Amino acid sequence: MSLLKPFSKLPGLNTANILLVENEEQFQQKLADTVVLQEKNVNVNVRLARSLPLPMENEESRPRIDLVVFIIHLTSELSFQSAETSLKYLDPGYFQGKVCFLVTSARNVSVPPERLVSVRKLAASLHCPLLCAEDQTTEGVTTAAHRLLAILKVAAGLVPMATGLYLSTLTRCTVPSDIDQQNFE
Amino acid sequence: MEPMDRLENLASSLETVALNGFQGPTVDNGQKDSSTAEILRMKEQMSNQCFEMAVKLQAGKSKRSSCSASDAEKDVLDYANTLEEAKIIHFNKTLALHRMQVWHAISEKLKQSDPEAVAMRGLTSCSLDLCSKIKTLQQESCELQCQITDLQKQRLDLKRLTHEKMKEMDELKRKREHPEAEKYRNVLQKGQSHLEKYQKMATITQNVLRGIIIASKVNWRDDPKLRDIAMTLEDIPISEE
Repeated sequence: MSLLKPFSKLPGLNTANILLVENEEQFQQKLADTVVLQEKNVNVNVRLARSLPLPMENEESRPRIDLVVFIIHLTSELSFQSAETSLKYLDPGYFQGKVCFLVTSARNVSVPPERLVSVRKLAASLHCPLLCAEDQTTEGVTTAAHRLLAILKVAAGLVPMATGLYLSTLTRCTVPSDIDQQNFE
Repeated sequence: MEPMDRLENLASSLETVALNGFQGPTVDNGQKDSSTAEILRMKEQMSNQCFEMAVKLQAGKSKRSSCSASDAEKDVLDYANTLEEAKIIHFNKTLALHRMQVWHAISEKLKQSDPEAVAMRGLTSCSLDLCSKIKTLQQESCELQCQITDLQKQRLDLKRLTHEKMKEMDELKRKREHPEAEKYRNVLQKGQSHLEKYQKMATITQNVLRGIIIASKVNWRDDPKLRDIAMTLEDIPISEE
């Protein structure tokens, strides 16, 4: 099994590498462009993938991945399942602040609410942050890129006094208990 | 523990890279920033990354074979709280340190005699004057406030006294009427009943006399004595009783 390991390579100087994993491959390109344009002080490399495991051919040339972002479109069930299967190919060391879930179309009416609940449960069980993004407007893409950059800089160790592990204790996703949900409904 | 050895080797090589002065891969930032701030920033980053890897190594060494998830959860919360408190204390101490440094710098500056120091001394004396003025003004306002409160207290006292006096007066008035009325009430009632009785008698007599004069069809206008009597008869209506 070819696991993706967080500390198997040397970090680059003033560099951060982010891996966007998306089954549909439509949002990652826009997000990648925005992320690279937004950050001026740090050298950000964005790598795109459809799913894990990553191909073995560029194993040597690939730099150290600081943050793995799973982009899940709530409009399709396949997106979620592909993300779930990709999770198995990540080394457990990644789940200490180097994995993030990004969810789109959470406000869409046609989306069954159970899907978001299951994504939340997954993120909560893995102690990872869950971000919601608006992928149709440029403003939404910019906001999502901004937030990803904030998490990326911490995960890459570029922010003094903060590590990914520390941030993950602050940003971890929580699932509201059943009682709360019943009262809401 | 093969991966741990690899991590150690990587960490040590990173350290040598850092110490050898950034001979690593070139940065695509355009030009290599060589200002001291940039170098310090790089240093911070590298120490942070080394710290992360050291933490990972530590975790690998002290891995317990059997640890339940719920216990680990509770431990994590406790550790996070301790960490937060430690960070806060550290931050406060850094702030205090910075304050002391700034004060030291200012005091050193004031002792010198270049134009900046002269300006600073002027400023400090100005602010001292203002502070003393503020103090006197505050004292005055405090005194005035005390006077106002005293006056208000006096006013309240006077109000209370007047209220009491009014109440006393009311009491006395009522008391005075009461015993005197008691004595005279019986006498008054008796007098009134007598008066009523005699009034009735007078009315009846007068009505009878009027009736007699009218019924006897005597010409009372011609006789002066009869006329006087008839004119003095009042037309007192007969009471209900």
